[in-house]
Amino acid sequence: MEQGILAKTDMKKFIELLIKDHRKVFAPVSRKGRVLFTEVSSADEVKLDYRNTDLSPKGLFLPQCEAICTFTGDAFQEVPLTKDKQVVFGMRPCDAAALSHLDRVFTEGSQKDPCWLARRENTVIISIACSDPLDSCFCTSVDGSPVAKKGSDIMVYTIDDTLLFEAFTEKGKALLTLASSFLKKPKESALEARQKYESAAVKKVPALNLADIKEKLRGCFDLTLWSSIAERCLGCGVCTYLCPTCHCFDITDQTDGERGRRIRSWDSCQYSLFTLHASGHNPRPSKKERMRQRILHKFLYAQDNFKETFCVGCGRCIRSCPVNLDIKETIAVLAAGTGKGA
Amino acid sequence: MEKTEQIIRETAKELFNSGRVEILIGYEKGTLPFRTRPVFIRNAAEADRLVWNSWCSNNLAVYLPGLFEQKKHKKNEAPPLPPKVGIVAKSCDVRSVINLVREHQIPRQNVVIVGVPCSGMLDAAKIKALLDNEVVTEVAEDGNTVSITGRSRSSGTKVKRDDVVFNACLECCSPMPEGVDLLVQGTARNASQNKYDRVKEFESMAPGERWNYFLSEISRCIRCNACRQVCPNCYCKECFADQTNPRWVDAGDDISDIMLYHIGRIFHQAGRCVECDACTRACPMGIDIRTFTQKLACDVKDLYNFVPGFSPEEPLPLCTYKPDDKQDFITEP
Amino acid sequence: MDNPYLPYPVTLADFIIENDARDLKTFKLVFEKKEDENRFSYLPGQFAELSLFGKGESPIGIASSPTEKGYLLFTVKKTGLVTGELHNAEVGKKMGVRGPLGKPFPFEKMKGKDIVIVGGGFAFTTLRSAITYILHPDNRAGFGKITVVYGARTPGELLYKKDLGEWGHDRRMDLHVTVDKATDGWKGREGLVPNVLRDVHPSSSNAIALVCGPPIMIRFTMPVLLELGFTGENIFLSLEMRMKCGIGKCGRCNIGHRFVCTDGPVFTYQELQSLPSEY
Repeated sequence: MEQGILAKTDMKKFIELLIKDHRKVFAPVSRKGRVLFTEVSSADEVKLDYRNTDLSPKGLFLPQCEAICTFTGDAFQEVPLTKDKQVVFGMRPCDAAALSHLDRVFTEGSQKDPCWLARRENTVIISIACSDPLDSCFCTSVDGSPVAKKGSDIMVYTIDDTLLFEAFTEKGKALLTLASSFLKKPKESALEARQKYESAAVKKVPALNLADIKEKLRGCFDLTLWSSIAERCLGCGVCTYLCPTCHCFDITDQTDGERGRRIRSWDSCQYSLFTLHASGHNPRPSKKERMRQRILHKFLYAQDNFKETFCVGCGRCIRSCPVNLDIKETIAVLAAGTGKGA
Repeated sequence: MEKTEQIIRETAKELFNSGRVEILIGYEKGTLPFRTRPVFIRNAAEADRLVWNSWCSNNLAVYLPGLFEQKKHKKNEAPPLPPKVGIVAKSCDVRSVINLVREHQIPRQNVVIVGVPCSGMLDAAKIKALLDNEVVTEVAEDGNTVSITGRSRSSGTKVKRDDVVFNACLECCSPMPEGVDLLVQGTARNASQNKYDRVKEFESMAPGERWNYFLSEISRCIRCNACRQVCPNCYCKECFADQTNPRWVDAGDDISDIMLYHIGRIFHQAGRCVECDACTRACPMGIDIRTFTQKLACDVKDLYNFVPGFSPEEPLPLCTYKPDDKQDFITEP
Repeated sequence: MDNPYLPYPVTLADFIIENDARDLKTFKLVFEKKEDENRFSYLPGQFAELSLFGKGESPIGIASSPTEKGYLLFTVKKTGLVTGELHNAEVGKKMGVRGPLGKPFPFEKMKGKDIVIVGGGFAFTTLRSAITYILHPDNRAGFGKITVVYGARTPGELLYKKDLGEWGHDRRMDLHVTVDKATDGWKGREGLVPNVLRDVHPSSSNAIALVCGPPIMIRFTMPVLLELGFTGENIFLSLEMRMKCGIGKCGRCNIGHRFVCTDGPVFTYQELQSLPSEY
C-alpha cells in the first residue's frame, strides 16, 4: 500500500499496530523536559506535539555506547549483530536525511560498518513532515526541506484533522499494507491539500544564502578569523553530540581484569584530546583549529568526499550551545571574509 | 535595566581609554530570542555591543584561566606580560573570579571586575512551560511583573518575576557583588534567607530514596562533558576522567562510569563551587546537577563554616589541615 | 559480511629489543589460523591495529615484508597504555591484529625505476618492509638502483642492526647509515640525514623517493630531494596520525578531506602540499 488516510484521533491505533508487529518501536518521548527517541511499549508514551527532538535519533543507529566484541582473558568473542525488526516513528525529514548522509560514511569505502548496516536494514523510518519550523532551522539552505523524502520509508503529513501516510520504499509500502485494514485510500482533495501544505511549510523555513559556500570555504583555512569565531567556544562537545550528522567515535577497552569488552562510544572533534598523538604532538592544539575542523568537515570536506553537505539545518547546535555559537552566523562570516587574508 | 546597560558601556569605554584593560569580557545580544552570549571586546569602539538584561545567565569567569595561560616564548626572550582583562560579572560570577584568584589560577591585579547587581536571571524553560510549550514571542518586564506573550493571540500570561527566575537565583545569598573593582548602579534582588531549604529537603529523604533520585538524574547523562567545560573551577589540564593510565573512568554509558564521573566532579567542587548554576544550565539532558553540588556546598558550610568566593586569601578548608578538624566521620561513621 | 572491527587472533612468538634505551622492540606475531594468515595479504607501507584485550589498540606500521612468510613483524615504541602492555608481554601472549590497513607504497609506479629510500628514527619500520620486499629475488629485477639513507640519533638507536649488516654487504643496493651524534666505537658516518642525502646525491632521473621520518627530518629532506630534481609526484611520504578505527569511519585522522588511514598513510609530497597543513 503506497498511500493511506487516517483520522488524527486514530494515530494511537497506528502506533499500537507498530508495537504489536515489531520487536522495537522508537518514538519521541518527553523525559524531564527533554524530548528524545526511546523505545515505547504503548502509544500513550509517545509525544507528538513537538517541533523537533532535543537529542537526534542518530543514537538509535550509532549508539552512544556499543560493544564491538567481548573478551575473557585473551580470547575474544563477537557480539552478534542485531536482527530486531524495528520502527522509528516520528522523525523529522532533516534527521532522516542525516541518516542518508551517515550511510555514505558507514557503507562506502573499502570497508562497510556491519553494526550500522544491521540496524539500518532492519529499521523502517516513519517521518512526520514539519509544519512549524523553529527560528534556528535552516534545512532548505542545505539541500533539505520540511517535507523532503530523503531517508524516510514513510512520511506522514498532518493536514487539519487528517493524517496522510505516503510510502516511498518497499519497506514502507509493506508496513502500510499491514495497516491497510484501517488506512483509507486518500481522495484527490487530500493529495491537493498535501501539495499546498508542502509549499507552505517550505516557505516557513528561514532561508540563508549558501550558494558557492564550498568554494568560499576553500580559501578559508588560514584566516585569522577562526580565532575570533572560536574564542567563545568552551569545547563542551554538545553541538557534536546532538548533531544528527556528526559521527566521530572512540574505541576503548573496558575490563575488570578478567573479562571485558571493546566498545565504541561517541567522541567529539571539539575535545582537546581528540587528535593528541602519543608523542604529545597535537595537530589541533587549540579551539580555533578544532572549530575550523568542524565547520570545514561539514561544509567542505564532506562535499569533496561525498558531494553532500553534512549539515541538515536542524539547528540543535545553535539551540543547545551554552554560549550561543551559531553555525549559520559562522558560515555567513566566513563566506564574507574570504580573500581578506590572514 | 537599560540604565545599567548604559553604565556598563560607559564603564567599558573608560576602562579602555584609561588603558586599564586590553580585553573586556561581557554579554552581547544573542542570535536566538531570549539569549545573550559572551563577547570579547578589545577597544572602546566595541563597547556598544555590550548589553545587560535578564538573559545574561552565562558565567564569564570560565574564560579567565585560558586568557592567563603561560604563552610560549623564545628562550632568550622575556615571557609575554599577562593581559589586562576586564569582566562584567554578576555576584555569582564575581565569586568564581575570587575563587580562581584564591586557587592561584589568575593574577588579581590583572583583572578588573565590573560588578553588576542582579535581580535574578529569567529561566526560558520555566517561561515556556507556563505557556504549555506554545511558542513564546515576547517577554516584557515591568518592575516585578513579567508579561509573557505566546504566538497565538489567546495565550499569554502575567506572572511574578520570582516565578520565572532560575532556582539558583531564588536561592542566591548575595545578589549584590562584593570584592569588585567597580560596582555598576543597578537593582539587586533580596538575598535568600532559606538558601539551603531544598538541600535540607533532599537530606530528609531516606538514603535509598536519595540514591534513586541521584541515579534517575545522572542515568540520562550522555557523557558530553558540558558540565565540566562550562565550569570555571574545572581548569585542570588533564581531567581525572580523561586519564588513561590509570583508567579511573571509562568512556561509554555504563552507569558505574557515569556515576564515577559525576561523583568525582561534584566532590572535586566541594568547598570551591560557588553555585553559579552554569553546569545545570549547560546540560543538554536537563540533569539536576545543582542539587548535588549544592548539597556539598551546604555540607562544607556546616562542617567548616566556609563559603567559597568571598575571600581571595582565606585558606580553603579541604586543602588545609587543622588539628581540631572534625573526625566524627571516622569515629562515628 | 566481515566485521572490520574484529581482529585476527595472533600469538606473540618472539621479540627483540632494538635499542639501548630498551623502549623499542620488534615483535614477531604468528596467526593462530592459517586462513587468517592467507587473508592478511599486504604490501609494504601498510599498517595494522595491534590489539591487546583490556588495553586497546595501537596503529603500527608493518615492518615485515610479505616475502617473509609465516609471521608479521612490528617495531613498537613504548609510549602509553597499549604499547606499555605490549612491552611487558611475554612470548606466548595472545593478541589481535586488525588489517592490513591503509594504502601501501606505490609499487606499480615504482616498477622499473630507481628507488631512493630516506628514513629517520623509528619511522624506518615500513621502509624495512619495502627494502626487504624489493631485494627479494622474486622482485629485485623489477626495480632499478636502490639507494638507502637511514639515520638515527645515536648508534644505540639504530633499528634492525642485523638487517643493516646484511644489506651493507649486498651489492644490489647502496646503503648509507648515519647517526646524528656518534658514540665511542662508532666507525660509521656522522651527520644528519638530509645532509648525508645531499652528499650521496642520488640521481632523480627515472627515480622515486620514499621518505619516512620525524617531522623535522622531513622538513629538511624535502628541499634536498627537490634540489636533486625529484618532483612532488615522485616523492612519497608516510604520515602518522592518532587513529582508532583505521577504516575511515571514526572521523579522527583526517587532513582536510583525506583520511590518513584509508587515503594514506602514504601520500605524495604534491598531495600533501594541496592539503591543509594540519598534521
